[in-house]
Amino acid sequence: MTASRLLRHETILGVLTVIALIVLASLSDKFFTAENLLNQGRLMSEVGLVALAMTFVIVTGGIDLSVGSILGLTAILLGVFWKNLGLPLPAAMVLALACGTFAGWVNGLIITRFRVPPLIATLATLALYRGLAEGISEARSVRGYPEWFFFFGQGEVLGVPFQLWVLGLATIVAAVILGLTPFGRATYAIGANETAARFSGIRVDAVKLWIYTGAGFCSALAAVIFVSRVTTTRSDMGTGLELDVITGVVLGGTSIFGGRGTIIGTVLGLILIQALKNGLALSGVKGDGTIVVIGLVLIGAILAGALFDRNRGG
Amino acid sequence: MKKLTMAAIVSLGLMTGSALAASAWTGGDDLPTNPLACDGTPSPAAAKPYDGGSPTNPPDRKGKKITVVDVPKLIGIGYFNATSKGIQDAAAELGNVDAKTDGPTKANIDEQITFLDNYITSGVDGILFAANDPVAIAPVLKKALEKGINVVGYDANSIPEARQWFVNQAEFNGIAKALVDSMAAEVGDEGGVAIVTSTFTTPNQARWIAEMAAYAEKCHPKMKWLETVEAQEDNNLSFNQATTLINKYGDDLKGIFGMTSVATPASAEAVTQAGKCGKIAVVGLATPNAMKPYVEKDCVKSVVLWNPVDLGYAAMQVLRAVADGTLQPGATSVKAGKLGDLQVINGSEILLGSPYVFTKENIAGFDF
Amino acid sequence: MTALSAHPGRSALHRFIGGYGQEIVVLLSIVALFVVVGIINPRFLSDTNINSIFAGNAYIAIAAIGMSMVIIAGHIDVSVGALIGVIATIAGTLAVNGYPVWVAWVVPILFAMAVNAGVGALVAYTRIPSIVVTLGMLSILKGGLISITAGEWISDLPTEFMIAQMRPFGIPSAVYFMVLLTAVAALFMRYTDFGRSIYAVGGNMEAARAAGINPERTVVGVFILHGLFAGIAGILFATQLQVIQSTVPPNLELTVITASVIGGVSILGGTGTVIGSTLAAILFACIGSALIFLNVSAYWLRAVLGLLILATVLADMARRRRVT
Repeated sequence: MTASRLLRHETILGVLTVIALIVLASLSDKFFTAENLLNQGRLMSEVGLVALAMTFVIVTGGIDLSVGSILGLTAILLGVFWKNLGLPLPAAMVLALACGTFAGWVNGLIITRFRVPPLIATLATLALYRGLAEGISEARSVRGYPEWFFFFGQGEVLGVPFQLWVLGLATIVAAVILGLTPFGRATYAIGANETAARFSGIRVDAVKLWIYTGAGFCSALAAVIFVSRVTTTRSDMGTGLELDVITGVVLGGTSIFGGRGTIIGTVLGLILIQALKNGLALSGVKGDGTIVVIGLVLIGAILAGALFDRNRGG
Repeated sequence: MKKLTMAAIVSLGLMTGSALAASAWTGGDDLPTNPLACDGTPSPAAAKPYDGGSPTNPPDRKGKKITVVDVPKLIGIGYFNATSKGIQDAAAELGNVDAKTDGPTKANIDEQITFLDNYITSGVDGILFAANDPVAIAPVLKKALEKGINVVGYDANSIPEARQWFVNQAEFNGIAKALVDSMAAEVGDEGGVAIVTSTFTTPNQARWIAEMAAYAEKCHPKMKWLETVEAQEDNNLSFNQATTLINKYGDDLKGIFGMTSVATPASAEAVTQAGKCGKIAVVGLATPNAMKPYVEKDCVKSVVLWNPVDLGYAAMQVLRAVADGTLQPGATSVKAGKLGDLQVINGSEILLGSPYVFTKENIAGFDF
Repeated sequence: MTALSAHPGRSALHRFIGGYGQEIVVLLSIVALFVVVGIINPRFLSDTNINSIFAGNAYIAIAAIGMSMVIIAGHIDVSVGALIGVIATIAGTLAVNGYPVWVAWVVPILFAMAVNAGVGALVAYTRIPSIVVTLGMLSILKGGLISITAGEWISDLPTEFMIAQMRPFGIPSAVYFMVLLTAVAALFMRYTDFGRSIYAVGGNMEAARAAGINPERTVVGVFILHGLFAGIAGILFATQLQVIQSTVPPNLELTVITASVIGGVSILGGTGTVIGSTLAAILFACIGSALIFLNVSAYWLRAVLGLLILATVLADMARRRRVT
């Protein structure tokens, strides 16, 4: 598979995104302003962070449905460690991050060690982690965080929202790992043909374990940012996140069968969805209408990619 | 293999009873409660100074046409359709308001924040909201105030400083008293009761349950709370959960509280289909239209609710008064169109009235 | 079925366990659950409770039959919950507007089959992954439903429309539907050419093509069948109560998919039975009810449910490794 073919979907998506931006900008003069765009970046950071990790997961031919529940569990643990156990907030943050990462590692262990298909394994932990969040918190919120903590979700560095720096950095790291390192090549190889990858000496299980652990870490990081942005923890945080994330990733051209996909595609997919949500709202389309448009764009974009491929004899 | 499953099931058995240790009713929050007097003597309200927020340099909107967006907890449910209708009614009556309702399709804090953010950017003059979470919604509402937008809440409050006024449909302790008294009137003071609620994280429901527990302890100490179950805002799930409660407790269950306008009719349906009309009382929050069949068949005797159309109407009237500058911090009442003067309580809340108890005698006269 | 013919040398019992292992695990779990919970609280075994567990969740089991076929064919459908919401709304709207009840029952089912024919055609002929098409469909159906109905409740439904509330011989009609449809679907999957071709396509599409099966037509057919089952599930869902909410039931697609995969349908396609998915749907309903009977703290309900799902999955994996 040549690089140009790999990037074909991304090219279509890029063109589509530019067209969408132009159309949306012409519909509302409030859309294409630095303030609005930066703010939209803030709003998409949590989904974005998780989507980066999900790209790796889906490229291996797997899926992780439990990311929203890991986000909820991490948020609750952050609150519980700080408020109920009386830990200093920075320690609580680190510990909560560690727990979220551990939850991802458990997913990986179930998938690699016990050979449970990822969809089933994470379907089970989707219920389990959300249940733990609800049980541990007894459905109660933790509020009253100190002012400095709100920096992660509401603060700015050089005029750009803090979490957008995090997302930017994570994007670069993810793109480099997936595109340029042996680990990235192993990821593609597993997705293309797991048995072949095993025979060619790739430590398939270790790679997968890392990837699911990474998904746990990204979800946990998103949780901390989310809690800081909304200044409270609730056990239902992140419900339904998995569908938003998967929509972004597959719109970005990552094949659900594995073996194909890029970080740049995922980022474009996320930008397109966020731009549509925001731009349509600004030009007066209501939320239920926007959902329909996103559904149509998702099918349309993938359809266009597929037809284009076929015309080229792909 | 099977051992694992069995072990899990057995350990479940061992967990039995741990739930009953806590004294308060499951599903209530841990905020302080303030039960009313048993005989309904109003407690002297401590005068509280205005504690709402204020917009930064709002333009002069007096008498001018304003655009208003209403962002409820979620769209596509009967209750918020009714508040939305009230808002439209008031807007039409005022003539100088362009109002629309838009919001998430599920009660999700993140999506609601995104909707508010988009409308702030699009440059509305006023925002009406019903919060999915009082704290989570605060930063985005504060941002609206900073942009000079008038912000008024209804149905579900935010923390006070994040909005200007909140139109309170009825006070939590008032609802709790109405529900618990209605239940006691039907099942006597010693019956076992259970609760069907939406989710434990829904702030209004959690508040009501906590107030109900406090009021029952004070005024009906022998009323026995058995269990609270979650049923989302889902008709079929509410029905299944209520049916499970009926099957589980048999004759020990004398009454079911429905905490949402979905749970109450579904619980009444469960009682009807189980053939327990007259043996198990259903008391709860619900709209009269959904409850008419059960009330007319004498399966349900009392339904508690405020009029959600009036609630939306009042919220719109209050927002207009704030934009016009006729409602200022420190006011003790506000003129709300056909509803007359509404009273200011708790510093920055406007009280719609006492909760209304619908019965067989009066329910036919209501249509919402 | 391939699993049955793969090991000709083994004993009949072995082959039986090999072919129906997961179904047996689920069935034994149901029995164990009834025994344990019944000992702790005998009311769990009352006929009214068993009736309500089965009747209240039959629509999930029926939807899971169609979902199992889709998954066996190597695909998935995440829009089934939204589709059931739409079907219920159409059925209710027809019923209250004076159409004969059979029209109110049949038209929505045909609609569901038509929608899924479209989904199936997109999946089969354009090779877009089914999860993408159905994710899109989920958005379209959900957004469209709310745009059109605004969640207005449909009430005053005619009594003769309420098919799920009818009780021939004292047993809720939904239970008959569940048993009958499961049996028919199981026989269909096992003994008809089309049923076997579903397994073949899910197992290996190119091999199926080489064996003279038209995989595209099979996939479209599977989705239409899935529409049929989702349609029937939607009608039962709509007629269970006196009002129809006109919204998308929350998380229903997850429940349906979970029932299918826990029932032994391999997400990779090619194996599994519809009996397993029906049993798994019943198991979930039993667990949900049992946890309430056992006084498990309501806050911990979901965690325990998740743990039980995980335990079932791990048990199945252990069993498979021992059998093969």
